[in-house]
Amino acid sequence: MSPQLSTPSKVPFFRDIRTLKWALQILALLAVFALFYWLYGNYQENVAKSSIQTDLRFLDNPANFTIPGNDLDQSQPVRDAFVEGFLNTLRVAFIGIALATILGTLIGIARLSKNFMVRTLGTVYVELVRNLPLLLLLTFMNLAVVLQAFPRIENAWLPLDLFVVSNRGIAIPWFIGSPAQLGIGILSAALLAFVVAKVRIRQADKSGKQDRAWLVGIVTFVVLVIVIWLLFGYGWELPYVDGRGTTGGLRLDPSFFALVASLVIYTSSHIAEIVRGSILAVSKGQGEAADAIALSGSQKMRLIILPQAFRIAMPALGNQYLNLIKNSSLGATISYFELTQIAQITVGNGSPAVPAFSLTLLVYLAISLVTSLVVNFFNRRLALVER
Amino acid sequence: MKRKSLSVLAVASAAGLFLAGCASTEAETTTPAATQTTTTTTTEAAGSLLDSVTAAGSVRCGTRDALPGFAVTNDAGEHVGFDSDFCRVIAAAVLGDANAVEMIDLETADRFTALQSGAIDVLVRNTTWTATRDGSEGANFLQPTFYDGQGMMVTSDSGYNAIAAMDGAIICVAKGTTTEGNAALESSRLGLDWEIRSFDETDLILEAFLAGQCDGWSSDVSQLTGLRSAYPNGSDALTILPEVFSKEPLAPAVLDGDTAWAQAVNWAILATIQAEEFGITSANVDSIRDTTEDVGILRFLGAEVPGSDGAAVLDPNLSLPTDFAYQVVKQVGNYGEIFARHLTPLGLDRGLNSLWNDGGILYAPPYR
Repeated sequence: MSPQLSTPSKVPFFRDIRTLKWALQILALLAVFALFYWLYGNYQENVAKSSIQTDLRFLDNPANFTIPGNDLDQSQPVRDAFVEGFLNTLRVAFIGIALATILGTLIGIARLSKNFMVRTLGTVYVELVRNLPLLLLLTFMNLAVVLQAFPRIENAWLPLDLFVVSNRGIAIPWFIGSPAQLGIGILSAALLAFVVAKVRIRQADKSGKQDRAWLVGIVTFVVLVIVIWLLFGYGWELPYVDGRGTTGGLRLDPSFFALVASLVIYTSSHIAEIVRGSILAVSKGQGEAADAIALSGSQKMRLIILPQAFRIAMPALGNQYLNLIKNSSLGATISYFELTQIAQITVGNGSPAVPAFSLTLLVYLAISLVTSLVVNFFNRRLALVER
Repeated sequence: MKRKSLSVLAVASAAGLFLAGCASTEAETTTPAATQTTTTTTTEAAGSLLDSVTAAGSVRCGTRDALPGFAVTNDAGEHVGFDSDFCRVIAAAVLGDANAVEMIDLETADRFTALQSGAIDVLVRNTTWTATRDGSEGANFLQPTFYDGQGMMVTSDSGYNAIAAMDGAIICVAKGTTTEGNAALESSRLGLDWEIRSFDETDLILEAFLAGQCDGWSSDVSQLTGLRSAYPNGSDALTILPEVFSKEPLAPAVLDGDTAWAQAVNWAILATIQAEEFGITSANVDSIRDTTEDVGILRFLGAEVPGSDGAAVLDPNLSLPTDFAYQVVKQVGNYGEIFARHLTPLGLDRGLNSLWNDGGILYAPPYR
């Protein structure tokens, strides 16, 4: 209660920690703005000096190049080429993310296996792959594996006579019909299969009997696809070697294969570690409880451990997905026609560099942010509701 | 909820920044004040590039590597080739020293950015002069050093003997070049349904070609000839098909809006052509200068020309030393010598690149 201590002398405003914090923030912001203003000013000056376009008009110019595996005409505008590049990036991203997740999860589980062989193989895979630079892996995959280890088209490998594998690409059997037909068929089958599975789950919940509802769903899906396909008379065609190329089926570009393979191998090694860590983070009691009610090993993993592990893994997995999407831009180094390659080609053919690459940056940013939104959505859905 | 709105905000603001940037550019270039600034900068720059090259004592020449005949780095680390020699021609003309040149290797797709950013003073990198590049890359193309055309190379055992026979073939080309567009155009013109793959570097195309991933390798015939001569399986393993399906004037380029520098580079190149027309070579340039009475040659070499009011040296005010042509020929050689040194060994004929009075289209304006 001594008055000397309870009335501190007033701190001058320039030594007030709150003022200082604000001032520092504002200074930092000003410095950043000044830097950008200076760069932008230089850009303006350089551009004015050499009469370079600065707007997006170049998108309407004819593209003047073609894209492998696509019927884009060289007289179509640059805009269309960018759209194709965007779609190709999405193709790699979707397939890459799906495969990397599956492979990564399997290897993550393998690293925790009680079997010495399986566990060691998992460790070797992870330690080998995640310590390599991705660009090197990609170059190796393209120059050493696809170009040299795959057969030439003259002596293409024809497994089961269903596929044609050569260093000009991998051709697989494919549906005849438009992508829209295919999409509608698969979507409606998936919807029906989902409903069937849901009904089975509800019945199982009521009766208390064990039921392989999701297996039933998958079987339903396959059966329905076949039924729809027979009903509407879609066919499928097998690829075959035709001169120096293949005809029929769906041909996967060799650089597409090299890119997806490298991205999957690389990203899965990181995902495996995330999955392993997340499984270990699930409380030990959960596993013991599963053992106590006599669940089998696979049931324990599938029903008890993995659902909880993925809840923990989700944010980290999201990062890996973002990395995979961004790393797909390395496809430009092996002639895969994704967004970056398109940007480079079109800039080489007379499109102005700054607007073209700014546009490309924004597209990548948009893809990544949308992916973040999706991951965050699932993360919230999966997160434990804590009260 | 908060995170979501933040990311949406980020996209929106990034897009806004970008659009605002575009919009303000247009606005600024239309206001009179901005136009004035632009003009001032241009005049400043016009003096400065020639001046800055002189001050630096070396020409930064944008070139390349790994193209036999045009530009390769030899074991001693020197650039050797037709394009490299034209870099030296420019250095000899501007600075009086053919070795005062810094060779800067560029990827095909980066070359115009390097020119625009001022990382190089001049681009001599077997670059085709086209309207779009002239107009929208800010490049100012000068006297072509080589008139080329695009052709097709195939393996000799492929059985292809004409371009029209290559239906459904895979054609490999260099990324970001006129080659891509020409090949696409030729494919649709002949209805051949080519798949055109573009690669960053010649080495990568070579790998793909060796592995049988490509049926045809399309590029300028001069390049193909050079690549064929260095093919690992021997040059006989490759055949260049007879058809040529494009015009490819390969020309050096400088940045737009710098007239003095453009003139200097242009006349350095024209000097090699004029020297050949005069019959002046690096071997005989000294004796010709000392003995000739031809006024045209004396003017050209920057020697004193006897006139009515005493002897005088012609100075056409090109901002070049008056003896630049002498230095070019003495230190590097005339056009024919440069061609014979680098391109004849590859098996290239002079063809279009002969002098105008010898059936070609090389023609230098009079030096007077």
